[in-house]
Amino acid sequence: MRSLKILMLLTVVVLTFGAALTACTPKATPTPTAAPTVQAQAPTQAPAQPTQAPQPTQAPAQPTQAPKPTEPPKPTPVKVENPPKTAEQVDAISLEGRNVVVTYWHNRPQKDQEFLQAMFDEFNKTNPYGIIARAEIAGASYNDVYNKINAAIQAGVAPSMAVAYQNQAALYRSMGAVIDLTPFIQSKKYGLSEADLKDYFQTFLDSDANPQFKGERLGFPTQRSMEVMYYNVDWLNKLGYTEPPKDWATFEEIVCKAAQEPGKYGWAIRHDASNFASQVFSRGGRIIAEDGSAYVFNSQAGVDTLAMMQRLAANKCAVEIPVSERYGEQNRFGNGDVLFVFASSSGLPYYQQAAEKGGKFKWDIALLPYTEKPAVNLYGASISVFKTTPEQELAAWLVIKWLGETNQTARWATQTGYLPVRQSAKDIVISNFKANPVWGPVADSYAKMFDWTQYAMIEAPVAGYDPVRTLIDNELISVVITDPNADVKALLDKAVEKANQILKENAPR
Amino acid sequence: MIGRGQGNRVSASASPLPRRPSPARRRRRLGEVALGYALLAPAVILLLVFEFYPLGLGFRISTCDWRLGCAKFVGAENYIRAFKDPDMWHALMITATYSAISVPVQLGLALLFAYLLFQRIRGMQVFRMLYFMPYITSTVASAAVWAYLFSPDIGPINKFLESIGLPGQRWLSETRGIIPLFFSYFGIQTPPWLKGPSLALLSLIIYTTWVFVGYDIVIFLAGLGNIPKELYDAARVDGASGWTLFWHITWPLLSATTFFLLLITVIGTFKAFNHIYVMTLGGPGNATTTASIYIFNQMVSYNRYGYSAALSFIVFFIILILTIIQNQVAGRRVIYD
Repeated sequence: MRSLKILMLLTVVVLTFGAALTACTPKATPTPTAAPTVQAQAPTQAPAQPTQAPQPTQAPAQPTQAPKPTEPPKPTPVKVENPPKTAEQVDAISLEGRNVVVTYWHNRPQKDQEFLQAMFDEFNKTNPYGIIARAEIAGASYNDVYNKINAAIQAGVAPSMAVAYQNQAALYRSMGAVIDLTPFIQSKKYGLSEADLKDYFQTFLDSDANPQFKGERLGFPTQRSMEVMYYNVDWLNKLGYTEPPKDWATFEEIVCKAAQEPGKYGWAIRHDASNFASQVFSRGGRIIAEDGSAYVFNSQAGVDTLAMMQRLAANKCAVEIPVSERYGEQNRFGNGDVLFVFASSSGLPYYQQAAEKGGKFKWDIALLPYTEKPAVNLYGASISVFKTTPEQELAAWLVIKWLGETNQTARWATQTGYLPVRQSAKDIVISNFKANPVWGPVADSYAKMFDWTQYAMIEAPVAGYDPVRTLIDNELISVVITDPNADVKALLDKAVEKANQILKENAPR
Repeated sequence: MIGRGQGNRVSASASPLPRRPSPARRRRRLGEVALGYALLAPAVILLLVFEFYPLGLGFRISTCDWRLGCAKFVGAENYIRAFKDPDMWHALMITATYSAISVPVQLGLALLFAYLLFQRIRGMQVFRMLYFMPYITSTVASAAVWAYLFSPDIGPINKFLESIGLPGQRWLSETRGIIPLFFSYFGIQTPPWLKGPSLALLSLIIYTTWVFVGYDIVIFLAGLGNIPKELYDAARVDGASGWTLFWHITWPLLSATTFFLLLITVIGTFKAFNHIYVMTLGGPGNATTTASIYIFNQMVSYNRYGYSAALSFIVFFIILILTIIQNQVAGRRVIYD
């Protein structure tokens, strides 16, 4: 009981002391209150100043003082928004002394990561802004990177920049996470010159202007690839053909001839929406309307594509590559078990390795067969810059710009098998390939692709195309290769209806 | 403890009011309570931060059109949408089928093997280890190997079937039901409603059984080891043998173990994701799109964060209801002693 009393007493003392302190506080206020009196003095001086007012009237009387007006007017400071909206705003950003760190997420394998980081180290040493660029593997595929970025955006920890397809960038943009690079490209201080822009392959540049966001550039190309037809030259010749098929009827005929040998197939059917898209393009169709307003792959081109898959799967001329069998088409092609594969040109080094290890035959690439005119599915992701700070966004742009320079794009293309983005790099890469004993045989094939860029088509650069890709696989490809009686047109109509619903759901708000 | 003297004083005063504890005792009691809460605090904080906060946030997301935050509060719209979504119902149906076949097959086989292994056969330790190995193997690695085994044209399973004159199957790529598939080899056409699970789903069930049987065997063996030997001896004296021993002693006294395994296996099948993702990605078509795969796709591929959160809560409640039902129905029949 006594202790309780002591405790209560202590509490009272503490409270009293606290109250006393609080009570003392007003005593401190005289200092602030003094301030108004000081401030009040200023206005009292003010009336004295107007007495000096006549001075301006003396100005005309002093023409000798005229040079004063010739002093250059102080430039009004440009207010830099985040992200910068104009080239002038970008010009106004200063990176001096900031030592900005730029993180780049990509999906390339370890050997390319090391190569890229070595390039970045070079940039880090030479750039005048003190920018430090770091490359990080964020997954083994574009999908992995996309999934990781989606989660990172939600968590507010997105990198400075990342590899992204146009449709993925559009989705990030719809969440307000990536920025339009147009002001950076147009910046006088940090942007690209007219000559530089002309040096870039125009189709590559165009592919990043997003129709869903009024032509905003949501990424910038540092590499490109395209869907090509890999074929076994020796086998094709053995079947009595001297050149790859140019039309779909001949293609089908050769595929079934090749499959007559047990355990061999003419074509590898892949669970891949890009594969489907490439065939639709070559039949004169599109995946999405040019203005990005609606999906249109239920056209006759879509019907013909699916119907051919259905026929070739039913009569066992083509083999399905199961989803679980990653790169199964490469391995089978390399072993000489499949005659034709439609796949990305970025796989050139891997097909070369597979053929070297496996069947040791002569192989080549060609355009896909077509109905009226050739078409090629151009892809290869660009680099998108995430909304961070104007300084970091500018630093990221400067890294991208540097990666796109002739020397860098040529080195990167030689390393990876991608196409360089500048015309001035084309010959360098081709000669590099020819000089390399491993690449030598495919150097001419690689060179052909530069001519094919004129037939470039883009799949669907709109937000929400990724689920549509899943839809194309799950509800079209998977069904027709299993069910020979499935109504192809009905399937396409239903899929397009669902796809348009997804498009609507993901439309910019 | 009340001291004798204090007790005497209480009885002496004969007051009907409860005696107030002394201040020292109260302080001590207060100190004990404070210490108790202090010791509980780390666990409570961990639970609040890592369990209840995410749960609460998940619920909030489920009531929103979520894009980097709650773009629009939609209330129960995502839940209503889920009930109207035929793909969600399909995913739940696939999950239920997967569970309905997996659980009895897994537990039945595990019990059989455990019972056999309990008979003190030679090399029992080796068999135990062999059966348990799939469970401790990386799911991704073993699923990838099984995907290869099931490969329609290069997989060893089909090679074997073909070598003995049976037709090869499309296994993980087959969307057709196993009943029409089976009868089609005899030229018999089945009615369209008679489908059964797809062969792709059945292939996944085969893999799941291979993985989890070993774990179930170990738990069953532990349960078998807890049954007093004297009961068997007494029953044998009374002339019981074989099936009678199993049915009247083993099965009832193993019911607690069986009940535990039933609970975790049902919950496990409803949450199954990793191996399905590796082996089929939910395909071909939507033949193996279970609830977990569907939720994952809605979130990652479709970016429907609010909707996928609502779906997660629906599946959570389904599991909860199933567990309560199991507790009510099977739990009552469990013999613990």
